[in-house]
Amino acid sequence: MSAPEVHHLFHNPIADHSFSADRQTLAIARDTTVELYGRVGNAFKLKDELKGHDKTVTSIDIAPNSGRIVTCSQDRNALVWEPTPQGYKPTLVLLRINRAATFVRWSPNETKFAVGSGDRLIAICYFEEENDWWVSKHLKKPIRSTITTVGWHPNSVLLAAGSTDAHARVLSSFIKGVDARPEPTAWGERLPFNTICGEYLNNSAGWIHSVAFSPSGDALAFAAHDSSITVVYPSAPEQPPKAVISINTQLLPFMSLIWNGEAEIIAAGYDCEAFRFKGGINGWQLSGTVEAKSRPGLSEEREESALNMFKQMDLKGKVKDNTQLKTIHQNTITTLRPYETSGDAVTKFSSSGVDGRIVIWNV
Amino acid sequence: MSIIQQITADDLTDNWRRINIDALDPDSSLNFPTSSLHPPQPEISESDCRNLSSAVRQLLRGGDAEGALRTCLENPVYNGPDGVKEQHLGTVVEVLQSIKASEMSPLLKRVYEGEGGVELLDCLMKYLYKGMGSPGAGSGGVKVMTPQTTGFSQIGGGRNISSGDSTGSAMSVLLSWHEKVVEVAGLGCIGRVMTDFRRV
Repeated sequence: MSAPEVHHLFHNPIADHSFSADRQTLAIARDTTVELYGRVGNAFKLKDELKGHDKTVTSIDIAPNSGRIVTCSQDRNALVWEPTPQGYKPTLVLLRINRAATFVRWSPNETKFAVGSGDRLIAICYFEEENDWWVSKHLKKPIRSTITTVGWHPNSVLLAAGSTDAHARVLSSFIKGVDARPEPTAWGERLPFNTICGEYLNNSAGWIHSVAFSPSGDALAFAAHDSSITVVYPSAPEQPPKAVISINTQLLPFMSLIWNGEAEIIAAGYDCEAFRFKGGINGWQLSGTVEAKSRPGLSEEREESALNMFKQMDLKGKVKDNTQLKTIHQNTITTLRPYETSGDAVTKFSSSGVDGRIVIWNV
Repeated sequence: MSIIQQITADDLTDNWRRINIDALDPDSSLNFPTSSLHPPQPEISESDCRNLSSAVRQLLRGGDAEGALRTCLENPVYNGPDGVKEQHLGTVVEVLQSIKASEMSPLLKRVYEGEGGVELLDCLMKYLYKGMGSPGAGSGGVKVMTPQTTGFSQIGGGRNISSGDSTGSAMSVLLSWHEKVVEVAGLGCIGRVMTDFRRV
């Protein structure tokens, strides 16, 4: 396993990051702007800044096929940035919310995107040809609190959402005229807009930080603030699920999780490193960390001169500065994303966090 | 009629500024039903709690400290009057005090690895924090139930032991348990206790 690729971009938190499909462009949400980095050799160089939001940008997503970038911000707006020969052209989306927008993701077919918000609703946005703008429809019931995260089902109709009311929900975002009637799944058969296909409460009432459907869409995983991840296997529409497996860990809470095939989940958060979970419908367990602890450069300890040692003791009262964490990320990881996939399996994934680093990991 | 005449004394005061308008807004977070954050819990009455604590004491007398602790933690009082909650806390602290320091870690490990062990240790952690938060209640129960296990009783026999001393000893027991529970169940356990709406 080769060493992960580390890019320390700046000393600010990265709220969210997204790679273009060719992995040559990296979009970063940094404070109120969106920064676009281009790959130059082994490094990423700043090549463009998208300014359009006047409060913190909370989330960003690049559609892999169309290359459109969608961003959302605490200024209650979402912008779709259309790539043109003259650069990116922003279009304002009519979200109709009066609290911050917290999270945005394109649907897999790229005709819609979902914006979570503090207004206790999810705006499902789609393009209306006749008016030539992006409009939204609201998923409102039964959300009781801020939406922190959303995740799309592969069929682009079902949407999972995590909220600060300790519930992960599966809802239908079917929009007439935009979506074709989806194949029936274990989650539901008839799926008019705002159908609730599943509602799962976290045991300790922790906020839900991340939700993700498995590659097949037949299982849902979510991470909550009680340091747990939960995997739900639905049985049939309107029936209680086949299995709800909750793993409470000894670790700090996870902020983000991704599936690697159907039998592995990678999750990362406040422990500043990624962990693997392995299992299936019969049970899941924590199987270890992604980061190899014995990589070169970490254990190398320079021989200190006696003079230097006493100098350090005099200056700081200790010989060694151990403010460095043993992990690559030096602060909370907030986003994980698949970087390179083969079929359903993830071969590389990227992480970003509060320390301003982007790390590309080999699975 | 001029507008000025219509102003009453009420309008001239700023009482209207003190109306908590958030309470009137059904969508406000003030009106968030926290009962939606946990499944309904069975209500436990005083007699239930008394039966439980005598069962626990029986186990303790039989030398089955682990069983006693398990019984306590499997039946937490989430829903009940404050008195009953305090009473159960007293039972838990009594069990904790009867277990020797050298037995703590192996016992906790066995509980953690057993069925539903994570949940049980989370529950224990809730009682540890509750005990620390209300030293009077915890040690009060202790004083009645365990007549001085510390060995200081003879020394202090002459003078009246101040409640501060016994509070301190109860607290040190709770603190050493806290340390051991974190060793076994990790920091995640503390996080779960903090987020949980099921309060003991």
